[in-house]
Amino acid sequence: MRPSILAFLFLPAAALGGELKIEDPVVPLAPPGAMAHAAYMTITNETDQAQALIGVSAPGYGMVHMHESAEKDGIVTMSSVDLIEIGPGQTVKFTQGGLHIMLMRPEAPIEEGGSVDLQLEFSDGTTQAVEAKVERIMHGSDGS
Amino acid sequence: MKRLAALVLSLWAAPAFAQVQGVMLDEPMELPTFEFTNELGEKFNDGDLDGNWTIVMFGFLSCPDVCPFTLGNLEAAVSETGMRVRPENVPKVVFISVDPDRDNEFVSEYAKFFHPEFEGFTGARDQIDALVEATDSFYRLLKPDQSGFYDVQHSSAVSVIAPDGLLRAKLQPPFDPGLTAEFLARMQIAYRKELTQ
Repeated sequence: MRPSILAFLFLPAAALGGELKIEDPVVPLAPPGAMAHAAYMTITNETDQAQALIGVSAPGYGMVHMHESAEKDGIVTMSSVDLIEIGPGQTVKFTQGGLHIMLMRPEAPIEEGGSVDLQLEFSDGTTQAVEAKVERIMHGSDGS
Repeated sequence: MKRLAALVLSLWAAPAFAQVQGVMLDEPMELPTFEFTNELGEKFNDGDLDGNWTIVMFGFLSCPDVCPFTLGNLEAAVSETGMRVRPENVPKVVFISVDPDRDNEFVSEYAKFFHPEFEGFTGARDQIDALVEATDSFYRLLKPDQSGFYDVQHSSAVSVIAPDGLLRAKLQPPFDPGLTAEFLARMQIAYRKELTQ
């Protein structure tokens, strides 16, 4: 087999000139009694192909869903999201009050300074392991 | 719903706030008698509203995103309010779960996670419904999925109750702490003016 084909077989992302970049994965420290809490992150598609996040799993949780919170006429609703499309060069932000990864039925409480392991599954068949830090989120004016 | 329309109208009529964090009601609303409880055996009833400012928020503990965000912002907003008003006028924050079946064992502990002085309660369905209705709020338990998990839709706004026990304002997202504190402090000035007139 010629070396160039080897490279194509074993480094598909590199061959396409980019990757799915995951930044700032975080799990806000969850209050006691919360049977579900959230994870947030930013995903940038640096490949030249359209991609989609099609699933998330996390050991230690009964179930994991992708969800979106929305407010309409003063009522907050969450809806389940099956897939999140990320076009080439596009960035998708999971953020409070919007898209979030909902971690349900934790087997053990999470602790500040700890982390939660997530597996992201993409439409191109790849998966990425992400370690989200557990942090106490401070609230301030104007995002400060 | 008619009352809600009035609220929205008064929202447009409040140009003093560039980004609207709250709406003062033109007509303060009376609240019914009610009683809630929590896992510590503490009670919260209409009599507890007398003599202090109270912020009431409805939510549920299995709410991963919006409820923690709102309570976190309220904590920051109340701290900021503490810098603008006398200590006895700092609002008391009360979280009321509309999901007693799942939440009754944790509701106080949950609220205290956000601030040691936040209080959490839940109670009988008719008590929840009465206060939800009286504050022009809304909630709905959705159908459970295959695993039995169900989601809850609820109002995003929270209620501000004055020391006379009347509902006098609503706070609404994004609950910017500084602007919300400014709104609460101004509201207290307007309230005292009204009382001395």
